[in-house]
Amino acid sequence: MTKNIAYLVIFFLLFGSCKGRVKDDLTVPGSEMVQGDLKVSDQAMSEIIENISSPIEMAALVKDLGVPFSSRYLSNPDIIDNHASSFKMAYILGVLGADLGYLNVYEKTGTSVNYLASISKIADGLKINQFFDFNTMKRLATSSSNLDSLMYLSLHSFNQMDSHLRVTERSNLSALMITGVWVEGMYLATQVAKEKSDTSLAQYIGEQKVILNDILLILKNYQRDAQFSDLIKDLELIKTEFDRVKISYQMGEPIAVEENGMLTIVQQERSIVDISNEVLLKIIETTARIRNKQLTV
Amino acid sequence: MIRSIRLYIFVISGIVFFQNNCIAQDMEGKIQQCALTAGKDVTYLKDFVVNLTAAPPNQKPPVFKSSLALRKGVIYRFSICNGESSDGEAVLRLYDQSNLLLSTYYPETGKEFKSISFSCQKSAAYTVVISFKNGKKGDAIGILSYVNK
Repeated sequence: MTKNIAYLVIFFLLFGSCKGRVKDDLTVPGSEMVQGDLKVSDQAMSEIIENISSPIEMAALVKDLGVPFSSRYLSNPDIIDNHASSFKMAYILGVLGADLGYLNVYEKTGTSVNYLASISKIADGLKINQFFDFNTMKRLATSSSNLDSLMYLSLHSFNQMDSHLRVTERSNLSALMITGVWVEGMYLATQVAKEKSDTSLAQYIGEQKVILNDILLILKNYQRDAQFSDLIKDLELIKTEFDRVKISYQMGEPIAVEENGMLTIVQQERSIVDISNEVLLKIIETTARIRNKQLTV
Repeated sequence: MIRSIRLYIFVISGIVFFQNNCIAQDMEGKIQQCALTAGKDVTYLKDFVVNLTAAPPNQKPPVFKSSLALRKGVIYRFSICNGESSDGEAVLRLYDQSNLLLSTYYPETGKEFKSISFSCQKSAAYTVVISFKNGKKGDAIGILSYVNK
């Protein structure tokens, strides 16, 4: 008997080691985890979507423009309830990930705790919480000296959650997650563009035409699902505006520059984005409408 | 007797679980360590964990490939770290379709870089390829970072 208890204690010690967990509040019905027939194989899907939508790049670009932080660009972290569908959870996970990236870039770690808590709740609901160490991130967020670690950990966790969804044949949820990141990032960039006229930002927004086409290509694999179909219809409204953006390419060989032992390759082939003010305004308006609609669906 | 066997299975499965959990965390530590080699002026974006077997005789060496969306106006940094027990030395290359843009090793000059920056002027899908010199087996971690302005 004593031996049995000893084994049991060892077992729990072993299983309980290494990582903490946060409470599981959200649950997903099993049927919602099943993805439809794919036109593109999972491998091809994963080749398409690596780094397609990064929660950091858009925020960093905005900060580099000298635009001050504004909470008006953020979504409500408490937007998700306990009965949300996996569709909604995956999409909102992307949205909150983009917002977390924005907060981290601007070093607003105090506010980021609310976003971390919501992300953790959704990760529980989608059963990918093993990649989101809420307690460590919360600790890093509340001690402002560890911003780099927080940034690393949050991005790495997002990459892992995304990969795990694809590995476990839930590429549909991964697609939603990256769509959420992209839409929220676009909302941030377009809202800034609305208030600050900047050619490089307009060009950056115009170039998102390429990314949107890739995202639509992925989402169309799941268009038999009514929710996906509605989302695609909404994104196609943005695409219609993007169709008026013209992108041409100027050829050139890359140049290598070595400075202080660091080699930098400067690409000479470059894209030239032709985006009129009228088109930009339409993209700004349509993006805001779709973004706000998707948050309330 | 049966009870003892059950208990042993129980304990062994616990140890296996524990080991897997800790191996995963060990890998996390290595990724974080490699990310640090990219420098202080960067923000980590993505990692590529690579484990390749040796090239079979008279055959092309195996390679790791990943398609990446990179954006115009952003400076990225690619870093590569060899695994401690890796036989081969890892080389990271970046391609735009079939055009080589950068490599962490240039055999014609013998120059080798642990990190290389890439100033992207065209938003598009690029391909990262990681392989090992002379087709040896090995493990490595590649890191993609955003260079802060």
